[in-house]
Amino acid sequence: MLTIGLTHYLVLAAALLCCGLYVMTTKRNAVGILIGAELVLNAAALNLVAFARYGAGGLDGQVATLFVIVLAAAEAAIAIAIFVNYYRVLATIDADRGDTLKG
Amino acid sequence: MTRGWLYRLPLPALLAASALAADGAAAPAADPGKAVAFYLVAAVTVGSALGCAIATNIVRMAMCLLGTLGGVALLYFLMSATFLGVIQLIVYAGGTLIVIVFGVMLTSRAYGVKLRPRPVEVLAALVVCGALLVGLVAVLLRTDWPAAPAGGAAEGTVAALGGSLLSVYLVPFELASVLLLAVMIGAAYLAQPALPTAGDGAGPEE
Amino acid sequence: MSPIETYLVTGVLIPLAGFVLLAFLGGRLGKPAAGWVAVLAIAASCGLSAKALWDWTHLDAAGRLAARTGPYEWARLGDTVLTVGVNLDSLTIIMFFMVTLISTCIFVFSVGYMAGHSDEIDHVSKYHRFFTYLCLFDFSMLLLVIADSLLLLFISWELVGLCSYLLIGYYFHKKSASTAAMKAFITNRVGDLGFIIGLGLVFVHLHDLSLAGAAAKFRDAWAAGSPLFDPAAGLLGLSPATWMGMLLFCGAIGKSAQFPLHVWLPDAMEGPTPVSALIHAATMVAAGVYLTARIFVLLTPEAQLFVAVIGCITLTLAALVAIVQTDIKKVLAYSTISQLGYMMLGMGVGAWIAALFHLLTHAFFKALMFLGSGQVIEGCHHEQDMRKMGGLWRKMPVTCATFLVGVLAIAGAGIPAAHIGLGGYFSKDEILAVAWHRAYGREDHGAAQSHGSVAQANGLWRMGKGPTAPEVSVADIDQFIPASWAQPPGEHASESGGAAHHRPVADATPREETHPGAAQAGHARAPGPRWLWIALFVVPVIMAYVTPFYMMRAWWLTFMGRPRDHHVYDHAHESPLMYLPLVVLAIGTFVSSYFLFRPLVAEGAVQMSTAPFLTMLYDGEAATAEHAHGVPIDHAAHRALVPAVGFAFVIGFVLAIAIYGRGLALATKLAAALRPLHTLLEHKFYFDELYGVVLVGGVAALRAVSYGFDKYVVDGLVNLSGLLTRVASWFSGVILDQGLVDGLVNGVGRVTYALGGLVRRPQVGRVRNYILFAAGSVAVVVLWAAFGRVK
Repeated sequence: MLTIGLTHYLVLAAALLCCGLYVMTTKRNAVGILIGAELVLNAAALNLVAFARYGAGGLDGQVATLFVIVLAAAEAAIAIAIFVNYYRVLATIDADRGDTLKG
Repeated sequence: MTRGWLYRLPLPALLAASALAADGAAAPAADPGKAVAFYLVAAVTVGSALGCAIATNIVRMAMCLLGTLGGVALLYFLMSATFLGVIQLIVYAGGTLIVIVFGVMLTSRAYGVKLRPRPVEVLAALVVCGALLVGLVAVLLRTDWPAAPAGGAAEGTVAALGGSLLSVYLVPFELASVLLLAVMIGAAYLAQPALPTAGDGAGPEE
Repeated sequence: MSPIETYLVTGVLIPLAGFVLLAFLGGRLGKPAAGWVAVLAIAASCGLSAKALWDWTHLDAAGRLAARTGPYEWARLGDTVLTVGVNLDSLTIIMFFMVTLISTCIFVFSVGYMAGHSDEIDHVSKYHRFFTYLCLFDFSMLLLVIADSLLLLFISWELVGLCSYLLIGYYFHKKSASTAAMKAFITNRVGDLGFIIGLGLVFVHLHDLSLAGAAAKFRDAWAAGSPLFDPAAGLLGLSPATWMGMLLFCGAIGKSAQFPLHVWLPDAMEGPTPVSALIHAATMVAAGVYLTARIFVLLTPEAQLFVAVIGCITLTLAALVAIVQTDIKKVLAYSTISQLGYMMLGMGVGAWIAALFHLLTHAFFKALMFLGSGQVIEGCHHEQDMRKMGGLWRKMPVTCATFLVGVLAIAGAGIPAAHIGLGGYFSKDEILAVAWHRAYGREDHGAAQSHGSVAQANGLWRMGKGPTAPEVSVADIDQFIPASWAQPPGEHASESGGAAHHRPVADATPREETHPGAAQAGHARAPGPRWLWIALFVVPVIMAYVTPFYMMRAWWLTFMGRPRDHHVYDHAHESPLMYLPLVVLAIGTFVSSYFLFRPLVAEGAVQMSTAPFLTMLYDGEAATAEHAHGVPIDHAAHRALVPAVGFAFVIGFVLAIAIYGRGLALATKLAAALRPLHTLLEHKFYFDELYGVVLVGGVAALRAVSYGFDKYVVDGLVNLSGLLTRVASWFSGVILDQGLVDGLVNGVGRVTYALGGLVRRPQVGRVRNYILFAAGSVAVVVLWAAFGRVK
């Protein structure tokens, strides 16, 4: 247990992923869903870095994580912009109200 | 009941963990100090993530997210991905989180309205996430991972990362810049006040 | 880069600069100025391409090889290097020239056309937008022409699609226009889906997206007996290579409006008429044919047959529908589809040169006719119904005359004995000749010796032999031909049947010995039954009689006879800015039939030297190339073909004039007599309705079915079980403890009800539920991976 290896990080990432999914599925606040998505993204990024550290892939995993961070920032910006619009139109941030497209 | 401790917990823990991590980063793999540092940081990370899950107040969730992001940054330090750790702190904890907090402030004017999920949903989510966690952990523990390469992995220095960004990963890099530009324009466009001429179809029609 | 490449690249970039300028400053430039900026840009581009053409024709073979400097490395994806470069060959040069020249004419015409249009929406002029889009469109199209890699081609391909969307929907405040734009865009996406999957297959199997590189890898894979060509490795008995070719061709189906994706092009006539001329006659739809020409080296015999069949179906359907259209632009639209079908047919049967030659001549005369119709529509106060026109020749003499040139060209008018003809007379008939050969030709007739003399006597391939011989002799092609071509074909006698397909390169080289044909046994046969090949010849020939009929009908109804609507007639006029381009294009129609164009296309065929499946590269002039392929053309029989289609245009014209010469009375009677047929054609074979029913209705039906399942089966089960438990409780309540049983029953009822509610929840469109289901599905997979597998 005292030697920290790849498995430790992967289990940790799995836990983060499940927390993120839980947040995404249970929060009705749209921003809450976004926070859940950020958790999931972090879990993925952590996986990549762990593989870069303990695998033979060199720095590839770290570069990929860099892109994950960039994409997450972009995603957050767009998501917040959408939510602000959403709030303006529906006067609520409840994601469950956004079902007007349903057939 | 109050869950105030949830968002007060991460900060001192973060400080302690960072001190330990600084020591642990240089130590060999079997070093107990590094193991302790890992478990501490892992506890903070998962604890904050759980806090996110439990919290019902959106501001608390954001604060807990800060804890998770910081914890992940520390994990990067532990894995000697120093540059990534710094970037995680600056961009994620510094930038993305601020955006989220702004989003919260802009959209949470309706105080007093609690958006709670139905118990059935919570139950289903617990079952699904629990099953996923169990499955993932089982897979992870059963897999025979290859051993780490001798001599440890390459140091994630700025020079090394920059070199690979501008050679092997040039196309994704350029794509990312284009994406960021598109996001800037898109976000500005989306968030601008509705044009007076676009009166038809912009309203909340059911 | 060599000077010629510099000319071409600059020629591509100038319209882009025009686009940027107009996009930012177009509003300030105002009404006529913005248009003239666009004209200036494309005219400069045209000048550069003319210079490139001039230089090119004055280069010898070595100079041409040296002029091509690319490809340059662009980026690396893993171990695959992406390259860019100018695909510098004769085909590129002549296509570039054609596109810029026709665009220049159309741009000038547009300035005249748009002058009389109100273009304000919400008090903001969108005049400059039109020319902005035009510039972007030309940039994309030119980029597509010079692209030397499939990736670059795909990028410009999508840009062209985008521009067509913008331009068709230019009158976006009109519901029909915006719908047509969306229809064009979405229909094209369907084809592009195939294209991009094909691109993925190329990337996966060949690891090279450059045209030359992919062709070389393809040939190597064939030589090495790769499983790529094994029908057992593919789907539905077709090899992966066939699928690759067919999927790539799907892009062309969308863009060139081939069956079954042809439905967008007639609707696209909602755009301004110059746009119809630019996009839907001269360039955009040509992109599909151009793409097919470029990927021809990657097409297996089965894929080629697919191309030919699609082309044949398209040309038939479109020609028939064109007979009954009353909107002048719709007639032209369907004739465009039909002619594109001819080109695809030509590609499919191996008439590569003829198909591209037809593309070039068609571009001229179709742009001519579209602009002519634009002149008519503009002059007649936006009246597009031919039934209300008539007698316009007095008011619009120039338009009338130039339109007639177009009609003659598309009808393939010419005098077989004197090798005088226009456009289609040379190009379309050549396609038919090759189709004839695929259907009836034999390899063992030994026509090789008699070839020269017969060709002299044959009206079809005279061009270039007479005093009008171009500067560049097609015989130059010899210097490009690899040694393997020059060897006599090997074992053709062993193959039977007229339509047997050949693998000339593989046959003639030692590669055959290295893998003695076990895997190729399936490829050596001719794909498809013989009757199919005969149909691929007979049906287009019949349609060659229909084409002159409907074109003459359109011309006669518009310009001849007596005016049928005096309101329209009195208003008619023509303006110099609009008919000058018409005159230029009419001259171009003449010139393109004789000089320069066909020889250059034939030289472009050099790239074919790497194709393993070259079935037929028919060229009546370059005899050496033809013989090297082991496909001696039966010229004696082609002389018989001349009477078969050589006078088709006369018959078509006479019929049209006989029916419509005295107005619409006779035609109306005929239509009444043939009511069911007429209705079928008037509704365009009900394709729109069919798609409406099948696609839209299909989705609706799926929705109805799932809703019905939900409502009746799931709810019914829930209700039924609730009912049953209630009944049971009522019975048992008499005997057992009322409260206990009631509680149980209620519990069961509640659970089942909640279950029913859960099952219904996916229909409500909440984001979180979708996430939950996605996560649940992943959890199931992960759990299976963890515990479900047998260790």
